[in-house]
Amino acid sequence: MNVTGYNEMSSVKKSIICAVCIALCYILPLLFHGIQDAGSIFCPMHIPVFICGLICGWHYGLLCGLAGPAISSALTGMPPIAYMPTMMVELAIYGVVAGLMMRYVRTKNTYVDLYLSLIVAMILGRIGAGIVRALIFTRGAYSIAMWVSGYLITCWPGVLIQFVFIPTIIFALMKAQLIPLRYPQQKLDMPRGQIEKW
Amino acid sequence: MRGGIGGITGRYIPGDTLLHRLDERAKLFGFLILIAAVIMTDGLWGYLLMAVFLLLLGFVSGLPVREAYGSVWRLMSFYVIVFLMNALFFTSQDPLWHWGIFTLSREGMIQGANVVFRIAIVIVLSNMLMLTTSAVGIMTALEALVRPLKYLHLPAEEIAMILSIALQFIPTLLEESDTIRKAQIARGARFESRKLHEKAMAMIPMIVPIFLAAFRRADELSVAMEARGYRGAKNRTAKKAKGMTGSSWAALLVCAAICAAEVLI
Repeated sequence: MNVTGYNEMSSVKKSIICAVCIALCYILPLLFHGIQDAGSIFCPMHIPVFICGLICGWHYGLLCGLAGPAISSALTGMPPIAYMPTMMVELAIYGVVAGLMMRYVRTKNTYVDLYLSLIVAMILGRIGAGIVRALIFTRGAYSIAMWVSGYLITCWPGVLIQFVFIPTIIFALMKAQLIPLRYPQQKLDMPRGQIEKW
Repeated sequence: MRGGIGGITGRYIPGDTLLHRLDERAKLFGFLILIAAVIMTDGLWGYLLMAVFLLLLGFVSGLPVREAYGSVWRLMSFYVIVFLMNALFFTSQDPLWHWGIFTLSREGMIQGANVVFRIAIVIVLSNMLMLTTSAVGIMTALEALVRPLKYLHLPAEEIAMILSIALQFIPTLLEESDTIRKAQIARGARFESRKLHEKAMAMIPMIVPIFLAAFRRADELSVAMEARGYRGAKNRTAKKAKGMTGSSWAALLVCAAICAAEVLI
């Protein structure tokens, strides 16, 4: 397999990007904290974990998914400690699956790769978190209805934000040459001056 | 978010107090023991004990009161929301007041107060740790914490390096976020609106600039590290770690005693 794109980044750069994403796992929820129940509706912590997995690979996505909620919980008490293990499992699956999908799915179209990776990671992460809650953390007190309500209905604005913003952020980072292009032979069709506007 | 979002987690303030001089590993392990104590804290006496301990800790650290405890006040709106959500929506057999979907109950108020106090205590503890421990100290402590991962053939040094850089990035990125937030307010964003959807819509344009700013910082740091010959944490040399002093062991014992007391109360 021809390895290009993200794999051109050095391990040092991947480590620093992972560190930044872990820090963002703390900062993004803090921005949303003025909004009632924002964590479960907008899922701000999910965005850096997906981005870390998609850009740096599954090892770093795993670390970001585990460390992000742990550091946020230790520094601000959010997510609450009782809820943190489930969240760590969910985010770790997101990071790992997003990284693995980006490694093995290569359709020659970055948008398709990104959306496929995101969709599969979101589905598997939610299923994994539901299984872990049903079998370990809330054994006997968890139902399919609770899973549907918690992981599909409440958080639909967050899913929408992730679908819109994660590919946008990744393309913006490519355009700003902060990460390499996934398919260097393809040109980015983002309007000139868009990055400066951001 | 009155007063901005900066300052929720403090930057290291150099000093020569007892808390500053403690071994960083003792401080981190003590912090984790105290987190366990917070989880077990329940009832008035438990919170009083914790409050007295936090006041003593602030005194020993020699930190200005505003730096040590100020972060608690900055999240006041969050506490009010958390308390009201628990107090008004808790399912109770014996409600004090009921109107429409709202049910005010004694159990709900106790539950809300528990959550708020626990969050506030954790914030003060983490603030004290960050304010009295240097970045290098935190990295040394994290290395000690993740060292057992070496036995599983996992890159413990690299994980410690990533975690310590993440902690160092937090104040910088908070400042960046605050700058971006102010820029968005100048463009007409309505963060202070009472309407939920307006507040949420105001947040959304901040997401992309925050990521761009954060990744720019990451790019600069990685270029600087590679230019100085950094080739991974495995090949990195470190200063020889000092042994744990008597005062560090004593501090750990105090934390363990607080934890035990919270279990017994």
